[in-house]
Amino acid sequence: MAKTADGIEVEGTVTECLRNATFRVELSNGHIVLAHISGKVRKNHIKILPHDRVLVELSPYDLTRGRIRYRYRS
Amino acid sequence: MNVSHPAPDHSAPDRSTPGHSTPGLSTPAADGRALVVTRISDTQWQAVEDDRVVGSGDTSRRPDGRLFVSVDAWQGPVFDRIARTMLTDLPEPLHTVTDEADQEATAAWQRVGFAVVRREWGYTVPTDPRTTGLGPVRPPAGVTVLAPGEAREEPLRDLDRAIHREVEAGAGWSAMPAQILPRPAGTTVVHPVKYTVAHEDGRYVGLLRTAPLPRRPRIGLLAVRADHQRRGIARALLAHALDSLHRDGVTTAWAEVAETNAAATALFEGIGACRAGSTLELVRH
Repeated sequence: MAKTADGIEVEGTVTECLRNATFRVELSNGHIVLAHISGKVRKNHIKILPHDRVLVELSPYDLTRGRIRYRYRS
Repeated sequence: MNVSHPAPDHSAPDRSTPGHSTPGLSTPAADGRALVVTRISDTQWQAVEDDRVVGSGDTSRRPDGRLFVSVDAWQGPVFDRIARTMLTDLPEPLHTVTDEADQEATAAWQRVGFAVVRREWGYTVPTDPRTTGLGPVRPPAGVTVLAPGEAREEPLRDLDRAIHREVEAGAGWSAMPAQILPRPAGTTVVHPVKYTVAHEDGRYVGLLRTAPLPRRPRIGLLAVRADHQRRGIARALLAHALDSLHRDGVTTAWAEVAETNAAATALFEGIGACRAGSTLELVRH
């Protein structure tokens, strides 16, 4: 049976695209994290740009790091 | 150099169904932790450690039949375990994509036997004719350019099918950006209003498809019939489409171009398009 991912998921807004395939994202709680694109998002060629609203899964090992799991349409 | 288009191997056993999966593959991780990787559906795998989900894998099949895989894990050893389980469960060849700037991800796939086979440049394309130099560009004699929405649907579908057949007979779609992969038969030209079309002697001879994304329009496909190439038709289509975007207040568009596509690379770089990134495709045979 599938288990639900235990990571913390938070909505945020992309504020900056960095050079090393990571993004600075301001979370809805005001925190800033560095996030990379999930493999699934990458595989589907979804482009992430500044001002995009995204769903970020925070790393359980480092809460300043995250993974963009979803880009909202608006 | 073009990447060959691998033909499906119908003689190979189909391990891509759950009946051939590796359920609950459980072996100790290198550091002794109990890590269990399980195929939870046709297209999904999950890694669980101490009752916590620590990674996942996913597959999807492109319209041309190629199977693409992805893995998300916070730690390298978990990535490797998920990837190796998926490799056991799935028929080869398997494909994946990474951002070239993400060296860690590319290295992770290479660790499990994938090799880079192609690169795709992402271009930021200016729309201002003063920058592109396309202001004075007009279609060659006898050719007219129809704005999006002006082309008739049925001949546009015929053109789209003809171009797809020509690509299949030439470089093959595996050498093309993912956004312009052929769609299932009968579903060509889903939204005719997205197409700028070149027309000559009652026949449609070239097209440019723009995806009008609210954030940044994407030039999804620019193609001219083989017997009408090298006459400036693609340049005229691009001039028309970019000028239209410029008049709408859009300053830049986006385009992906395969590194091996010298003609397209020269066309975009010649109008001032800037490389803004690159995507790698990796394959394991």
